[in-house]
Amino acid sequence: MTTMTALELPKRWRVPGWGLCLLVAIVGELAYFTLTTRQFAGHGTGMLDLTEQFAPTGVLALGLAMVILTGNIDLSAGANASLAAVVAGTALEKGYGPVVAVILAVAVGALFGLFNGLVVAFLGIDSLLVTLATQFVVTSIATSLAGASPPYGFAASFQLIGQGAVDFIPIDLLVFLVAGLIVLLGVNYTTPGRSMILIGYNRRVADYTGITTRRTLTAVFTFSGILAGVAGVLLAAYYNSAQPDIGTDLLLPAITVVILGGVDIFGGRGRIGEVILAVFLLGFMSQGMLIEGDSSLSITMVTGLVLIGALVIKFSLERKNFSQLWTARMRRLRTRSPDLDPPG
Amino acid sequence: MTLARNIEAAPPDQRGGSPGRAWPGLLRRREVLVLAAIVLIIAASTAAHPYFWSSGNLAFIFADSVVIMFLALGESFVMLGRGIDLSVGSIMGLSAIIVGFRIQNHGMTLLPAVILGAAIGVVLGLGNAILVGVVRLPPIIATLGTLSVYSGLEFVVTNGNQVDTIPDSFTDLGSHTVLPGVPVILLITLPFVLVAAAVLRHTVFGRSIYAAGDDAEAAYRAGLPVRRVLFMTYLISGLFAGLAGIAFLIYTSGASSTTGINDNLTAIAAAIIGGTALTGGRGGAFGAFVGSVFLTVTLTAMSYAHIADVWQPAGVGVLVLLAVFSDTRSRQGGTGRRPGQRRYRRRQGPENLEVVKA
Repeated sequence: MTTMTALELPKRWRVPGWGLCLLVAIVGELAYFTLTTRQFAGHGTGMLDLTEQFAPTGVLALGLAMVILTGNIDLSAGANASLAAVVAGTALEKGYGPVVAVILAVAVGALFGLFNGLVVAFLGIDSLLVTLATQFVVTSIATSLAGASPPYGFAASFQLIGQGAVDFIPIDLLVFLVAGLIVLLGVNYTTPGRSMILIGYNRRVADYTGITTRRTLTAVFTFSGILAGVAGVLLAAYYNSAQPDIGTDLLLPAITVVILGGVDIFGGRGRIGEVILAVFLLGFMSQGMLIEGDSSLSITMVTGLVLIGALVIKFSLERKNFSQLWTARMRRLRTRSPDLDPPG
Repeated sequence: MTLARNIEAAPPDQRGGSPGRAWPGLLRRREVLVLAAIVLIIAASTAAHPYFWSSGNLAFIFADSVVIMFLALGESFVMLGRGIDLSVGSIMGLSAIIVGFRIQNHGMTLLPAVILGAAIGVVLGLGNAILVGVVRLPPIIATLGTLSVYSGLEFVVTNGNQVDTIPDSFTDLGSHTVLPGVPVILLITLPFVLVAAAVLRHTVFGRSIYAAGDDAEAAYRAGLPVRRVLFMTYLISGLFAGLAGIAFLIYTSGASSTTGINDNLTAIAAAIIGGTALTGGRGGAFGAFVGSVFLTVTLTAMSYAHIADVWQPAGVGVLVLLAVFSDTRSRQGGTGRRPGQRRYRRRQGPENLEVVKA
């Protein structure tokens, strides 16, 4: 039996091992697709190649996960990625090198993230409203910048970002994993990361604690913008073109992934590791279905069903009946030890 | 403080009751301000392009705004209850597709079409209502999920085909005018707006939506069936979205598997511009009406001013930002309510969550 400290805060009940559930689901689905569809596994590396398809969604989801953890939302992330892709494409077309193009794209993403963050944090306007508006504006800018014939056919060195591989690991996947590691460590082990979670859990307490909530919020939105920029670069490099709606369709899957990864939509609760698992779960699911011949829109439908199904299960487990049953049982077990009952 | 907030949270028609203060009260109402803005924009555009003030153009603007109007009406009910419905566009698309195929292949007439569209909307709205009202998922997640499901369904139902031959008996409603500048479809829509406004203002149910949206816990303690009320708002939202599908068929004379994909957020934008708050309890049916007309007038004026079409979404975005900026109450410091405050109250403890369960 684990020992408990008397100072443990009352916490809302949470399904234990949501990450474990996700992991089991991933293994199950990989096994299923490998058995039913020959192309899925390829020659062992086929599965890794598939990750190129959903790595941009994953990168976008990492930024969104941080924003959602603070109790906000960023509806402009998808449009931001599109704009970044178009910026990178236009820069390449104008003759700049790939490095400059990538830096420009990420900078533009950061700029709009910063704008969102400043308006949300310092004007105190609901992030849903702000990012709803910037989403429209950014879409327009991207469409206008791309013009009638969006840039395509980039230099090989730029395409390498989206299509190349180190040994057998696609660079897309590497970028996603590195970004995931940074976000994971940043959220779990740094002061701003922990402040961010507290802001999401309870903004007021965060204010009273002396956390610079506004600055932290702005930073989180900016970082989400940066990640959207990275996602845009990956998209442009993978598809070797920069359509102005290239990233817009990724917004809903990205939010879905974050929610499926167990992040509370009201903020304050959730784990980045589980979000990363959810990226692989949904990514492999949609790619597997694509290989099996389903259309992308029916995959959207299944994604929605999975989201609703998973959440209905999760919420009903976390709600009164089951959770009270569980806590009551745990409490009975604990009474054998001299520990205090956890308040609440 | 609490009292002051509640007074401000009351719908605009309840404020500034004494006759002497009627004018400032009227000027403070969002609907009036937006109407004034509409008049201004029309005047300015007419000065620049005389054709703007012609029966044909005005009829086009109104017919164009009707689709968003229906969506925004339904969305208003949900938003007044402090919810959000991201799936209205897809519900509209499904309704347009299913009814459109019936009209195209089986010669369905208007009245059965409207009834079928409304029924489809209610059934799909029921999905949202159950997820939010019974399972108690947060509205934004629940409707995000149904958005995916419904837009996927759109594709499954169309199976690669599209509706493209809607008989003139339908499309005439959008192009024929009764008075100069007033298309038939607007006259058909107005009763819906009036009924929605009457329900919101003068029925127990309507008042309950405001109460539940402003403060669910207080409403519950006052004896209102909060969950049932919220359940109903999603049904109503679905109903209006279903009707919007018919309006879409009449206006565009076609539908495809991607119909409505971009209209979810536009509907929310129109409602916000009309003064309905995402934080619940403020706004109304007329807001949705003027909001959607304002949106269409502005976008049309933009194209008259030779601004490229790609900037139309930016126009919507800027309008939303302006609407929010100009609404001091939704900003920090306006009411003494800070952004996190409401959430803090809800977060007080699990017992509050239980209380909301009616």
